[in-house]
Amino acid sequence: MISVDGLRKSFGSLVAVDDVSFEVSEGQIFGLLGPNGAGKTTTINMICGVLKPDGGRVVIGDKDIWLEPKTVKQTLGVVPQEIAVYEDLTARDNLNFWGSLYGLSGGELKSRVDQSLTRVGLSDRAGDRVKEFSGGMKRRLNLCMGLLHHPRVLLLDEPTVGIDPQARFNILEVVREVAAGGTTVLYTTHYMDEAQELCDRIAIIDHGKILTVGTLNELTRLAGEAEVLRITGDFEDPAIRERLNALDGVRVLKADDRIAVLSVDAGGPGLLAVLPQVLVPDLGVDDVSIQQPNLQSVFISLTGKELRD
Amino acid sequence: MAALAILRRDLLRYWRNPIRTALLFAVPLVMAGVFALAFGGGEGDQISIKILLFDEDDSLLSRFLEGAGDSSRSDQKFEVVAVGEEGYEMMERGEASALIHLPVGFTADYLDGEPTTIGVVKNPSERFLPKVVDEGVRIGAVGLSEASQVFRAELAQMGELGREKRFPADLAVADLSAGVNHKLGDLERFLFPPVVTLESVSLRTEGEEAKGGGFNILAYVLPGFSIIGILFLAQSATRDILRDRESGLLRHLLTAPVSVNDYLGGKCLSVFAVTALGFAVFLFLGIAAGIHWGPATAVISLMLSSALAAAGLLILIMSLVGSERQGDTLTTIIILVSSMLGGAFMPVSQMPSFLKPISAATLVYWSTEGFSTLIIRGGGLADIVLNLVVLTVAGLILMLLGALILKRKIERGAV
Repeated sequence: MISVDGLRKSFGSLVAVDDVSFEVSEGQIFGLLGPNGAGKTTTINMICGVLKPDGGRVVIGDKDIWLEPKTVKQTLGVVPQEIAVYEDLTARDNLNFWGSLYGLSGGELKSRVDQSLTRVGLSDRAGDRVKEFSGGMKRRLNLCMGLLHHPRVLLLDEPTVGIDPQARFNILEVVREVAAGGTTVLYTTHYMDEAQELCDRIAIIDHGKILTVGTLNELTRLAGEAEVLRITGDFEDPAIRERLNALDGVRVLKADDRIAVLSVDAGGPGLLAVLPQVLVPDLGVDDVSIQQPNLQSVFISLTGKELRD
Repeated sequence: MAALAILRRDLLRYWRNPIRTALLFAVPLVMAGVFALAFGGGEGDQISIKILLFDEDDSLLSRFLEGAGDSSRSDQKFEVVAVGEEGYEMMERGEASALIHLPVGFTADYLDGEPTTIGVVKNPSERFLPKVVDEGVRIGAVGLSEASQVFRAELAQMGELGREKRFPADLAVADLSAGVNHKLGDLERFLFPPVVTLESVSLRTEGEEAKGGGFNILAYVLPGFSIIGILFLAQSATRDILRDRESGLLRHLLTAPVSVNDYLGGKCLSVFAVTALGFAVFLFLGIAAGIHWGPATAVISLMLSSALAAAGLLILIMSLVGSERQGDTLTTIIILVSSMLGGAFMPVSQMPSFLKPISAATLVYWSTEGFSTLIIRGGGLADIVLNLVVLTVAGLILMLLGALILKRKIERGAV
């Protein structure tokens, strides 16, 4: 449904997106996971036809967005990272305006507006001006505007940034429902748990490049189907770091003065054999936590840094 | 279609924010109101000077002077109220502009050629009106003194006749009349015809003549302040373009089936509509305040072309700035300077001659001149054709130029 091929975009000397390619099938939730500044928003802006790429192609359905923008945009729903609503209008005014841009009018527009407001739990606040809404309510209205015209493809750019857990839960539920109805979803986030919970397939992006693409299982296999040890202590001495590197059956994913992240190889001696080596007093370890393989470990194994860095 | 949706949304935003919208109109209206109050109010030529007359003499001459305030022309200007001693208390309370005191024996002394005095008490809280009374009484006193010199004998004779207990004899009256007549005959060659005559003409349009209306200061100040008002309305409407860009609303809008041309078309339409509607509000307020704007076709054409010029100017300025703050600062400076130079605050004719060519280079000038032609000089559509052409052509060019610059910025990714 979405085919992105060799997208490139530079701003002066900064390469924001570098040869990004991926495919999203119909009805799939595809996650674009990466830290802030990785190139997620630039990619999504090029996909929805707002930012012209320096190179590459975006095909939605069977149409190139840059060749037939109006036709393609009719099938797209976009929920931007910014809360893009008119605060001096009511929620219903905002939706009426947005619906009219997609050619909706009269009774159909009214029923779609009512339906959408109910879906995101804002029907009792339809007549209130948006400036009186909380951040979470504004985000839900933002989502509502993207869903109003029943798009075939929904693009969401970090739609849960800065909101409370309940509003976040509501948004994720709506996204699941929409996808279950056959809508293709492209979802960018820097929250690892969101990508894990929600997405059928995930692309990890950093510095404008796609590092890997796959399902959660495929990606965690990349981390070696191994547990991850996160140890804290005093690792300022290079000799100690060398000793960590020399541990049997362990791969050092990350090591700085205070924190080291170690991957325990699946085919090695195992966690029970590794732990005694780590907990020897002269290594200066203060604390150890054991993590199951997840996107964090995948990201660390691919970039050598944690996602929140 | 999308352009109309954007227009509808923008108008709705003004409707949903009545206080903000009212404030946009409040500033020019308050300024016009202050000007009108300071320079005469909007009640035509009905400025009335209230004078208290304390006539202790109660004689023929004093009643004659009292009656002078009742003539058909002066009754619109003066309200003469006969009072007693309480007149001084009324003056203390500031209830009149001046009090004129004719003392006991005023007429007798005058007829006898004895020095006498007319007292004038002025209201210190008023600046101009008491001076009018003061000067009027001075002129009257000089006239009476001169008459006393010329008609000394006749006045003395009148005094004698007045003091007699019986009704004056026919011969005495005839003698007095003949004396006065001879004196007037001698004076005729000095008095008539007058070398200098004063002809007073009120500037009124035909409509005002018909209504019996007169000078209305608002007719002079409201058009100028309306133009300032619509420039600020255009500023507010165009500011949204920058706000849309800065807040991400424009980026979001362009994800819908809306092209940059649709968006800019909608915004141009919306700025023009808001400005024109704003002008219409000022127009109706002016009518309510008694202003006769001129022939309907002419005033509507001028209103629309002025709105177009204002919208074009503001869209161009906003297209050149980088942020809302920059835009606000620059447009405020340009609005105020062009309003001052263009005659919105004061008539161009009152400006120094070196400023007049600069004034003609502003769009405000063409608008204010057009309204002056219609309102003050009683002109019609044919008299403002050049103003309409200048405003419309300039408005369209500026709007097109601004829209092209904005389009380039948006397409380059500056959204």
